Amino acid sequence: MNNQKLDSANASPTKEFFVNMITKDISLEDSILDLIDNSIDAAKHSSGSQPMTLGSQIDLSQYTISIKLSSNSFIIVDNCGGMTLDNAIKHAFSFGRKPGIEPEQYGIGVYGIGMKRAAFKLGRDITVRSTYVEGNRIRQSFKVPIDVEEWLKSKIQSWDFDIVEAEDMEENGVEIQVRNLTSAAKNALANPAFVQNLRRMLARDYSLYLNKGLNLIVNGERISGLHLEFAGSEEFVPMRISYNGLQNGDEIFVEMIGGMAAPPPDSTEPDEKQNSDKRFGWYIACNGRIVLAADKTEVSGWGTTNWPQWHRQYAGFMGIVLFSAYNTAALPLTTTKRSVDLTSDVYKTAQVKMRDLTKEWINYTNERKQALDAAKEKEARAKAIPIQQVENRESIALPKLPAVKPVERPANVQYSVPVKRMKRLAGELGNINLPYREVGLRSFEYTYEDLVGEE
Amino acid sequence: MPSFDVINYGLRPSKSIQRQLVFNGIHSLQALMKLDMPLYVGLGSVSFTDFSLAHRLLQIRDMVSIESKKIGYRRAKFNSPYATIKVLYGVTEKVLPELLDCSEAINRPWILWLDYDCEFCEDVRDDIRLIIERVPENSIVLFTFNGNEMRYGRKPAQRPERLQTLFEDVVPDSLSANACKKGKIEVNLANFAINFMKATAANMSRPGGFVPAFNILYSDSASMITVGGVLPNNSLVDTVNDFLQSCAWECCPSEPIIAPNLTVKEALALQSLLPNGAGISKNDVRNLGFDLEEEHVRVYEKYYREYPTYAQVLI
Repeated sequence: MNNQKLDSANASPTKEFFVNMITKDISLEDSILDLIDNSIDAAKHSSGSQPMTLGSQIDLSQYTISIKLSSNSFIIVDNCGGMTLDNAIKHAFSFGRKPGIEPEQYGIGVYGIGMKRAAFKLGRDITVRSTYVEGNRIRQSFKVPIDVEEWLKSKIQSWDFDIVEAEDMEENGVEIQVRNLTSAAKNALANPAFVQNLRRMLARDYSLYLNKGLNLIVNGERISGLHLEFAGSEEFVPMRISYNGLQNGDEIFVEMIGGMAAPPPDSTEPDEKQNSDKRFGWYIACNGRIVLAADKTEVSGWGTTNWPQWHRQYAGFMGIVLFSAYNTAALPLTTTKRSVDLTSDVYKTAQVKMRDLTKEWINYTNERKQALDAAKEKEARAKAIPIQQVENRESIALPKLPAVKPVERPANVQYSVPVKRMKRLAGELGNINLPYREVGLRSFEYTYEDLVGEE
Repeated sequence: MPSFDVINYGLRPSKSIQRQLVFNGIHSLQALMKLDMPLYVGLGSVSFTDFSLAHRLLQIRDMVSIESKKIGYRRAKFNSPYATIKVLYGVTEKVLPELLDCSEAINRPWILWLDYDCEFCEDVRDDIRLIIERVPENSIVLFTFNGNEMRYGRKPAQRPERLQTLFEDVVPDSLSANACKKGKIEVNLANFAINFMKATAANMSRPGGFVPAFNILYSDSASMITVGGVLPNNSLVDTVNDFLQSCAWECCPSEPIIAPNLTVKEALALQSLLPNGAGISKNDVRNLGFDLEEEHVRVYEKYYREYPTYAQVLI
């Protein structure tokens, strides 16, 4: 054998692959977030490309990203500065970032795939319009109309999209209009639950930007950023550390905060309220964008070596890790920005510290079971502290609880009644939202006092 | 409130107007969609008022009434006005799934109206979810529930959490206690119920989805809410939407229906002045020899065709 070449195997990608296949790997919500990421990168660029750390003084209040959703169209408009014609010709519409082209400094768009994938996911009739100011201070505009079906049918091998003249937008920025929606998009954008859940997702995943003044509007309603807060007192003090990590030679600034966000539940039994512990767990942010939220899975480390699986007993814990990097490619991001790259060195290093912090909380919740009254008294004294105001501290502080043996043998009671009757009784006891357990205890105390009286 | 505003409860003029609006609406949708041999499903109680309208106005033959109490069931069977009404004994959450498994029932569209006395609660929500997910294509569904604010928490501050529990994702996190006070909560309840139905259909990608068509608030003594819509097949979605957008559609009035309790003599005297392009003034009423509040004149003027002017005897 002399390795003589016989022929070559065709490895060229197809248009169909980009339109119909890679769109399967991302949710509709994350596609929309990809478009918002581009607008935020433009806003950050316009305001000087500063890192998005907790101490960042960046002011984004002059920037607005507005989204309109309906069963017929998806429109996103921003006033974040616009995309230049040169950028559109050379980079923005290519599939994947070209070698030698650096991503936005401290940005969140990194793979050069987000806008196209998002638009293909949403519909078949796409128009991207931009108004921007060139170096000569003259406003210029162009648009890129994309008829996806025609583009797919086109026999010409070229993958290029035509760029044509366009009227100026009101402010410098980018507008993306998608019509002829895919059936999935048509169904979702008309679904009130989808729209409300999208609002919740935006409030959470862009909370750091929204709390820096960014205006994000969905169907005319402004999104308020979720305020991530810890509960602190003399005895409950969250941990806050920061350090510089390295990923393939790129420096990454890492900030980690963790502690009690709310008292743990009194009972570890599942309760009737769905998702009552949904805000607890680990949050990971990359250049300010939350990519993993309230995680209780192996992605953050739960259930991996030396780290127990999530249990309702641990509810009340919240931890946040923020990775900030000049070179976005160094961040532990996946292409969908809905998880982290578990092979990332800088993430692996952080996970060790995350685990140690989590274990401190797990130990506390174990001790708490033996001294519930003392623990609840101490927890009730804790006050809310916004994450920005948490002070630097190498480790979490939690109270030491004395183990108290129960003086009397308890009787556990379990019974079933119709929900409608339970809710009526809760209402009569003063609050229709009382947990069933609390209704049971209060009605026992009420009956006991009435029938048995003082002991 | 003066006693003459609350007596005559048995007549319930607002309820009667609401029922007439609903049946007029169903009648026009039935013609539009050319519904073939629909099945009527309701909670007939012992009076079967809606069943009589379904048979006489909508020409529906086969009907099912659900009755959950043993004595009520026996009375309903006794009082059933037509041979084609099947009275089924049991709670809706038990009877509806059985009905939806019955081949005779699911091979045709349903006109379903679950007119509950109670508030929107977990049981009502689960019935609605089941119906939206499983009812045959081209069905028309309606649900009536109590909108009294106290049923959703004694204090306004307790109500947003209760509504979030009941209507799940469709309730915005920003819902305020103020939006849950009397006079505001009714509109929100109706919108959340409609959005819940839309979301249920969308979440399962039901072909044709859910098209809202009914949103009526009314009150005789209790605030009641009627919501509903159409579950068309794909080919009828645009037809139904276009029809509902037309100005002739009257089943989503912008104001709650709070009709005055009029004597037959008063109602007939007012009716003799209508229709009248210029409307009736208070002076016109005084000239008739009695008097009414301005808002009552307006309501009567708007709904005089649906206002009950006679006692119906079911035979």
